[in-house]
Amino acid sequence: MLSVRGLTKIYGDRADTKAGGVRDFSFELPPGTFFTLLGPSGCGKTTTLRCIAGLERPDSGRIRIGDITLHDSETGTTVPMNRRGIGMVFQSYAIWPHMTVFENVAFPLRVAKDRRYTREEIRTLVDEALGTVGLGGYADRPATRLSGGQQQRVALARAIVHKPRLLLLDEPLSNLDASLREEMRIELRRLQQQIGLTTVYVTHDQAEALAMSDLIAVMIQGRVAQMDEPRAIYFRPANEFVASFIGAANLLHGICDSAAEPGDTGAVALDDGGRIGCIFPAGGVAGRAVTVSLRPESLTIAPRVDRMDPGLNTLAGTVVAGSFLGGSARYDVQVNQRILRVTAPSDLIFPNGSAVSLRFSLDSAVVVG
Amino acid sequence: MNIGAADPRVIIAAGVGTVLVALMVPPLWMLMQDSVTTTDAFGDITGLTLQHFHKLVTEKRALLSLWNSLVFAAGSTGLSLLAGGVLAWLVERTNAPLKVLAYLVAIISMGTPYVLHVIAWLFLLGKVGPLNDLWRQLTGETGVLFNVNSMAGMILIEGFLWSPLVFLLLGTTFRAANADMEEAARMSGASVLDTLRRISLPLAMPSLLALALFVFIRAIGGFEVPALVGMPGRIYVLTTDVYESTISMPPDLGHAAAFSVVMVAIVAVLLAFYGRLSKNAERYHSITGKGYRPRPFDLGRGRWIAGGLIVLNFVVVLLLPLLTLAWMSLLPFLRSISLAGFASLTLKNYRAVFTAQGYVDLAINSLLVAAGAATAIMAITALAGWIAGRNGPGGRILDQLATVSLVFPGICLGVAVMEVWLRVPLPVYGTLWIIGIAYVIRYMPFGMRYVYSGVLQLHRELEEAAGVAGAGTLTTLRRVVAPLLTPSLVAGWLFIFLIANKELAIAVLLASPHSQVIAVAIFDQWVNGQGGELAAFGLIWTVLMTIIATLFFVLTRRGGVDVHGN
Repeated sequence: MLSVRGLTKIYGDRADTKAGGVRDFSFELPPGTFFTLLGPSGCGKTTTLRCIAGLERPDSGRIRIGDITLHDSETGTTVPMNRRGIGMVFQSYAIWPHMTVFENVAFPLRVAKDRRYTREEIRTLVDEALGTVGLGGYADRPATRLSGGQQQRVALARAIVHKPRLLLLDEPLSNLDASLREEMRIELRRLQQQIGLTTVYVTHDQAEALAMSDLIAVMIQGRVAQMDEPRAIYFRPANEFVASFIGAANLLHGICDSAAEPGDTGAVALDDGGRIGCIFPAGGVAGRAVTVSLRPESLTIAPRVDRMDPGLNTLAGTVVAGSFLGGSARYDVQVNQRILRVTAPSDLIFPNGSAVSLRFSLDSAVVVG
Repeated sequence: MNIGAADPRVIIAAGVGTVLVALMVPPLWMLMQDSVTTTDAFGDITGLTLQHFHKLVTEKRALLSLWNSLVFAAGSTGLSLLAGGVLAWLVERTNAPLKVLAYLVAIISMGTPYVLHVIAWLFLLGKVGPLNDLWRQLTGETGVLFNVNSMAGMILIEGFLWSPLVFLLLGTTFRAANADMEEAARMSGASVLDTLRRISLPLAMPSLLALALFVFIRAIGGFEVPALVGMPGRIYVLTTDVYESTISMPPDLGHAAAFSVVMVAIVAVLLAFYGRLSKNAERYHSITGKGYRPRPFDLGRGRWIAGGLIVLNFVVVLLLPLLTLAWMSLLPFLRSISLAGFASLTLKNYRAVFTAQGYVDLAINSLLVAAGAATAIMAITALAGWIAGRNGPGGRILDQLATVSLVFPGICLGVAVMEVWLRVPLPVYGTLWIIGIAYVIRYMPFGMRYVYSGVLQLHRELEEAAGVAGAGTLTTLRRVVAPLLTPSLVAGWLFIFLIANKELAIAVLLASPHSQVIAVAIFDQWVNGQGGELAAFGLIWTVLMTIIATLFFVLTRRGGVDVHGN
């Protein structure tokens, strides 16, 4: 459906590897995919989106929807943004204050170049779009008298009213307050599945990305750090950056003890003592320095016992700080020279100084690099 | 805090209020009194009458002046909005080249006295000027292609005079506009033109209307163009009518006052509309995105046409007038631009400017009065604006008192201040003091706007934190408010300093041979035919003011202070 090849757009000096923009980005999306570009600010996610929209001109690369080429730097073809047939929701919603809700949503139909819509068609399509986003009955309201969430829905209705081939969403939830954001997250995903529209979503919020996406590209400094489905991104981070950006991973450093095939488990001798079994998604070479990612919630905390469970890693440590978070509790546990963060059920209580054992399965310890 | 002790803010408000009343009320009162009374030869009131107003509605000439004023103001507003508006859009919202030229025009115009610009234009378009000269040579005719002393000439020159300001003010509007709004239209399938017509223009409309009204008000009160361009062609508007009846012998002050009252009333009504319009404009600004960054339209090949327009504006509004002045300043006497003229080029005029004591005194006088007035205004409005911005005691009244003089066209204020100080037994009339006082009254609203918006930008908690930390009102004012307000105060000061040196209307009736200021001196010299020296002096002055204008521009840009202070 959407195919992007070698997309590059650099702001400023091309030779400067820290310059903002996106570098050599390629991906293919099957129809109906909810694809999320996730990363910290300045990682190139918005640039990618704006290139697809036609708001920026790529330095090089090719963008196609189906068999229609939107941009190809080699042949020099570029379809102007207003002829791309793409719907977009802006971060600020960009609801025009001098129009009613109806006129805002009807706008794409009124300015359409490929066909003229009759008054009845416009009315039907706008009502349908407003109904879809749950704003039936708001048509005649002035756009200045809408709450943030309502503006968001109007922007969405405007983006889908002309049945676009592709929907682009630029951090659409970042201006909403927390509770509304969670509600809209579910709502957006439901709508997208209902319409079956291929969607590219930009966000810096990992929870949004994990909850909504079929496919996530984690980006850093203009490059893709990992592109995979949400579970894989979370449980099998490909590198240190992804491990620490998604969830708060504990990163342990050590030396690979024995060679391992990709996907197999192997052993790592930790730098500050101890030895743990890990999974090597990309295989391991004996003697090489590695980093292991360990999720706080995959660690089980219990009073210290000097017993090794077969098939489980065990580390001995001491609680140095604990905080009660309601649904869970967080402990900082000192293990040898380092502090590990542990998420535990909130009914377990370990005062500071408690001697504890941390246990975790072999495949929850992932070698990330 | 002691219970029962007076709130220091009340004392400040009372003090500032007294000063404002003493400044603002007498001129207004005097105008109204003069317009309905008859006086004897000594200026003492002899009776009440409505004859001045009666004459206004019955005399054909009076009605004609009113009509001319409206045509003149409407025409020049339209022209300056078109020229300045297109320029502002090109510079702020597109990728047109050579943008820096537009700013150059705006900055240098900000420092040039209006009267100097007008003179350059008069020469350019005048009978012996290059335009008509060229036409005569091309056609062999003996007449003129364009008679500058006509309504068309007045509108043209006044329009060019205002276009730099329109450019700056609309530029602010376009810059503040949320680019997402336009991009959303483009993504919805609209072309550039569709986007302009259906989104950009309607969104800018409230600001545009407010600005149009603002320029219209200023043009109604405009004096330089009507006096220099209109009067020689016997085209009178309200301001020149007031001027003539004041300087005629014997002066007809009743007539001038009645006319002034009419103008003040017109302006007051327009200002009320303006207030509502600008509120409306703000309403549209309420929906803006967080992720704002300026993203200009790509004009494609059209950007070179846009660049051409920017160059044209630069040439027409700045370069031609400056070159004209340079030409005038280098000739021993005024003559048309020709090869023969180059032979007689001389620096005599420049030598005269630097050696004759008169010019140096004049420059010092002008700078002193403008600086003094700006300082007095900022001192008063720093207190008044702070109390008004924080809804302190009597804040609304102070705000209205400080801005009431907006209703005075400059020439009317001149009449009123003259009348007031002729009756006060203090030796103020005929000195620089009276000009300074008139400046203070006239430009007080600008100072107020700068301070007021500056105060609104200061978070109230900054002051509350000082209070909680144990500072009293005065200490908070001195240690917290004043330092934080400094950018606004300096910007306001520079703006007033610049505009006071630029405008002619207020001082023209108040200056005497011993108390001249720059704009009046240039005006007098032009009327007396001393074009060369005045051009030389004017150019030197323009350089000086441009430096100050640049300072102002850099400061307001960086601090984000509104440029116009209205």
